[in-house]
Amino acid sequence: MRIKRLLVLIIVAAAMIAAYEGIAISEDETIGGGDIVYSKPVKSVLFSHKSHAAMGLDCNACHDKIFQMEALSAQNKPDFNMKGLYEKKYCGACHVKDGMAFPSDTQCARCHIGTKGFNKAPKDAKK
Amino acid sequence: MIPNRIKTEGLKKEDLKIVPDIERRQFLKMGLLITGVFAGGSILSATSIVNKAFASVREFAEKYPYKPHYSMVVHQDRCIDCELCMTACVKTNNVPTYGYRTKILERDDPKAADRKREFIPVLCNQCNTPPCVLGCPTKATYKNHSNGIVMMESKKCIGCKTCMAACPYNARYFNEEIGAVDKCDFCFSSRLSKGEKLTACAEACPAKVRIFGDLSDTASDVYNTVHNLEKTVWVLRAEAGAKPNVFYTKG
Repeated sequence: MRIKRLLVLIIVAAAMIAAYEGIAISEDETIGGGDIVYSKPVKSVLFSHKSHAAMGLDCNACHDKIFQMEALSAQNKPDFNMKGLYEKKYCGACHVKDGMAFPSDTQCARCHIGTKGFNKAPKDAKK
Repeated sequence: MIPNRIKTEGLKKEDLKIVPDIERRQFLKMGLLITGVFAGGSILSATSIVNKAFASVREFAEKYPYKPHYSMVVHQDRCIDCELCMTACVKTNNVPTYGYRTKILERDDPKAADRKREFIPVLCNQCNTPPCVLGCPTKATYKNHSNGIVMMESKKCIGCKTCMAACPYNARYFNEEIGAVDKCDFCFSSRLSKGEKLTACAEACPAKVRIFGDLSDTASDVYNTVHNLEKTVWVLRAEAGAKPNVFYTKG
């Protein structure tokens, strides 16, 4: 009985810590690499570290199995395109039908910010 | 699978008029004609008129006055503003930096649940009743009688810019180099007249946003999209009454 109670206590404590960390991450604007604006193969795609971390994803979720730590390194790969995403590469690891996030072939302009978005983006977000 | 039919034999048939027009139209769009109304409108009987409804579009095609009747369907939500269309257009038609024949408009909707950004490609709508042609005092701009494209004959242009003011789509600019107003001609001079089948922008688009073709050809993609009753298709600034030939849709 006592063990059971202890276990419940541990779980509750762990959940509270996780929740607290989640809040801390969403409030920190400079989490991870900030905003990343890809300009290849088309201009342009915005990736926000902040909004992804706010959903509770930690660094290990993507780094560095799906994305290398170096910003924008993915866009130099030949398969960094929509076809690659549909094959569950890069963003497609989660953004795929029946995946964790909305599929890559929907809501195009949610990530694609276009040439206008590229021109408006701060310099440190792009190359 | 045919869903279970509700038996209507014992019920009293009521006046068809109690079904609102809008509801009747919704059924027609699905290819169903309401034939009976029962129980105060909560039960409807309907019959399929798909063949009849869809056969009539052939007559509709005969209304297109040009052959080929060039047209473009823009799948608006596919546009990502990569502007490869604009780059291709500038290169193909020697468009100067201060003007444009096509461009991408941007609209933000902060209240949208998911995608808050929208890009809208715009170009000359090659209207059937073009206000620019009506306004031109020298007939420098005219409607091509075989394919419906609104053309420019630069040497007749006196640069009065009446056409620019008349255009509901802001699709014209004054080209300093040629000393005349310039506009999109669906790449007629640069490509179509030389045997190409697509405009430069449609060919350059990586997301199949711009579908170009002959609206009088019942086998063409433009015809089949515009006549797909299940799809919402609209034009820009319909209230201008210019009968544009550039159509917009989503999906």
